[in-house]
Amino acid sequence: MKRNTILIIILLLWSLSPFLWQVYTSFSTTTSILKPFSFIEHKWTLQNYIKVIESNPPFWRYLLNSAIVGSTSTILTLFLAIPASYAISKSNNHQRKITKIFLFLTSLFPYVLLFLSLLEMARKLNIGNNLLALSIPYSALSLPLAILLLSSAFQDLPNDIEEAARIEGLGLVQRMKWILFPLIAPATASTAIIIFLFSWNEYPIALTWISKSEMITLPVAIARIAGSSVFSVPYGAYAAATVLGAVPLMIIVLLFQKQIISGLTQGAIKG
Amino acid sequence: MSNKALKLFFILILISFFTSIKSRSASFKTKRINILMPAPFAESTKPLVDDFNKKEKGLIKLRVTKGPLETEAVSDLAISSLLLGKSPFDVILIDVTWLPKYAAAGWLEPMDKWINTENWHSLANGARLGNTYNNQIYRWPLVADMGLLYWRTDLLEKPPKTPEELIEVSLNLKRKGLITYGYVWQGRQYEGLSCVFLEVLNAFGGEWLSKESKQINLKSKESNNAAKWLKELITSGASPSSVTNFSETESLQAFETGQAALMRNWPYAWAELQKETSLVKGKVGVTTMVSKNGISPTATLGSWGFSILKSSSNKDAAYKAIEFLTSVESQKKLFLINGYTPTKKIVFKDKELKRTAPLITVLEKALSISKPRPQTPLYAQISNVLQTQLSTILTNQITPEKGMALAHEKSQKIISSASIKR
Amino acid sequence: MNILLLLPALILIFIVFVIPIVRYYWLSIHASSVMTGLIPVPNNGSNWLRILSDDRFWQDLFQTLRFTFTSVTIEILLAIVIALLLNQKFQGRGIIRAISLLPWALPTTIMALGWRWIFNTPYGPIEQIFTLLGIGTINILSNPHLAWIATVIADVWKTTPFIMIILLAGLQTIPSDLYEAFKLEGGTEIQSFFKITFPLLQPYLIISILFRIAQAFGVFDLIQVMTGGGPANSTESLGLYAYINSMRFLDFGYSATIIFLTFIILIGFCILGWLLISQSKRFLSSEI
Repeated sequence: MKRNTILIIILLLWSLSPFLWQVYTSFSTTTSILKPFSFIEHKWTLQNYIKVIESNPPFWRYLLNSAIVGSTSTILTLFLAIPASYAISKSNNHQRKITKIFLFLTSLFPYVLLFLSLLEMARKLNIGNNLLALSIPYSALSLPLAILLLSSAFQDLPNDIEEAARIEGLGLVQRMKWILFPLIAPATASTAIIIFLFSWNEYPIALTWISKSEMITLPVAIARIAGSSVFSVPYGAYAAATVLGAVPLMIIVLLFQKQIISGLTQGAIKG
Repeated sequence: MSNKALKLFFILILISFFTSIKSRSASFKTKRINILMPAPFAESTKPLVDDFNKKEKGLIKLRVTKGPLETEAVSDLAISSLLLGKSPFDVILIDVTWLPKYAAAGWLEPMDKWINTENWHSLANGARLGNTYNNQIYRWPLVADMGLLYWRTDLLEKPPKTPEELIEVSLNLKRKGLITYGYVWQGRQYEGLSCVFLEVLNAFGGEWLSKESKQINLKSKESNNAAKWLKELITSGASPSSVTNFSETESLQAFETGQAALMRNWPYAWAELQKETSLVKGKVGVTTMVSKNGISPTATLGSWGFSILKSSSNKDAAYKAIEFLTSVESQKKLFLINGYTPTKKIVFKDKELKRTAPLITVLEKALSISKPRPQTPLYAQISNVLQTQLSTILTNQITPEKGMALAHEKSQKIISSASIKR
Repeated sequence: MNILLLLPALILIFIVFVIPIVRYYWLSIHASSVMTGLIPVPNNGSNWLRILSDDRFWQDLFQTLRFTFTSVTIEILLAIVIALLLNQKFQGRGIIRAISLLPWALPTTIMALGWRWIFNTPYGPIEQIFTLLGIGTINILSNPHLAWIATVIADVWKTTPFIMIILLAGLQTIPSDLYEAFKLEGGTEIQSFFKITFPLLQPYLIISILFRIAQAFGVFDLIQVMTGGGPANSTESLGLYAYINSMRFLDFGYSATIIFLTFIILIGFCILGWLLISQSKRFLSSEI
């Protein structure tokens, strides 16, 4: 038991200390940043945060952009994935297996490699600099995993419930709405959160699809802020930006940890 | 819960629609000009931009997009917006090395129709370099920029003149315990390293791309010596080994905190060193780079200038803005407040400036000896090859001779394969 | 009717995954660069000739493989330990699981920036501690022999939680009476790990290894923000090289060639991995 406590403390330190260092740096004055382990006067400041918040466009804008992309991608993905998953769960074993293997392989694909072609598409279709359009590639990238997760959820449902509803005379849409949808709600929630996290965090495509500074998403903004403070080592402002960018996600993870864990877990077990 | 979340999603979508509609509608009467600038320029030109907007009384609305600080990151941003099409920018403040590439890609509007001979000759000598491609003007310089040698007047009586002297004084001061670092420069594998090397190469009498034959010329005694000297800076202890990860920022940081006696940097550093936060305020002198006896020193030209994009729908208004931002008055302000090197002859001759800011004579001299980096659309690749090899040399993975020979062969390959394509 | 429900999703997947690969092949046999005015012109496979003798490509391939195998190996080992630890019952297990999941949930760019600062010379905590201890500076990010290790550390920190959660899921499917029965027969804890846990965990290990190898092979965000590929290109990955070729050098033909070759190599490795796994499975099952 003792041994475990020590291990858990190490684990917590390992997981949190890089972040805590950012927090520490973000509240430090420039002089104390340069001498992080010594005690000096005027050690603490809010200046770094003020700098980041007052930047133009304001920092919350990036959070909003990421939230918009995250939500629209989640909705679009679910909108496409739920019917597809239902269809897969109703098809025969052979077809289901082939589709699932195909989806599994696509979910393995290191999507960074798609950036060049996606950029060409954005240019041809004239959908660059559009947050809503960004949810199209995001949905496509999330779809394989989403379908895998949701189709196993559909498969787990006992067939007789839906059968009974069909005999009652409910059409597909009604069955979806009144019976299937509520039953797979937990799986949907897990899937939604995982898609949301992915879209919130995605970098290479956002980097190439958005060039207007007021439309960039959080990860791109952070990478950009990294280089945009004027001269002298700007780590105080960097750190403040990373903290501000990380906090919303931490809240999401702590609030939805059950869904996230069960989503990843289901993906591993059923995929 | 899910109901609430759904509502939130819809609200967010509505907001995004609303904002995109709002930004589209207002642009009928006023001509909107959007300029992309690297972060420091965006900050320093802010008052000028405000003046311009006031002067135009809403006929032209100039907006500056603040890009990243690092040069290559700004280029990445500019290029990604150009590749994406419908670039949000009308004008881009571009580095001297990007011009051939951007012009060859067909992104820039020739500026000859706005700039007459008289205009052209109002530029100071070094400032005319690097604005043309295939005999057309594509860029109008805002600020000239060239490599300078900063030195501590409290530690040294006079700045070193030759490469040998530089190492000697650095080691001396270090031995005395007056400083920890000696000479700091830009040794990270990035564009800054190419700039540093070009100066050293010239100081030893070599050249990178031969002017006449347009061939790479790195397999030479001079370039070997230049590379050897850079390496010696580190091995002798005249420069810290961490200099191989220094960019301008780190160099300035080391110099500003009094840890170094000498620094290679651009003119912007002067203004930074005069700030209250600088520990060496009032103890700094500026001169040009060292060179071998009998060879005149050079300064790598790093000027920034405005280019109008072909895709802009308000080109005349854009030029008006450029004219304002680069006017004599603006250049004076930028020099006095930010230490930006002017590009117009008249400004250098200004008596009042000479009196209040003697630095300007150093700048004029440095500008007159400045040299642009090889002007080819493939510059990024050949510079990358050079940086790679230099970095391998500086971090002791290869001998200077072998490194330079490799750099030579590889750059040659890039140039010749590209010429076949044409 | 079923196919109609499936079709929209499949079409979107097809557009985003399949079309690009075909397009890359097509671009790879064309010159499309700043010298051709960014218009594709057939060039008789000279991109392919160039890539064969491009040291930087092969160096990056080596570096990408080195990064992939080191980080995935460490991640798997660490994840097994952590999953075993968190599979035990103790107070506050939920919150500790959530906290240990945090690194995975944060955007890569955020923590890549954080790690860049942690490894900074001379102001980062690691250098500061080394200096205080009198060891002197190690300068990890400017040392081309060591910088890649810093990227591995950051990647391990970031992705171990992901594998851990998958393995945790696997552990929870193992019925506890198996262990009890084993204990009654006199087996030790370590033996039970190799006889029960490891074999039953295998499918989860395979999934996470496959997934991580493919993702690590495409590493991009982390490297771009943390080191930009330097020093001396020593941390550059294939993904970053392809990106630089198109976005910085404007050589799309060559960039596409890099991507296409990377893709083929990745498929090769996946097939190789698959064969190895199925071989070892046969071997293991014959053992038991």
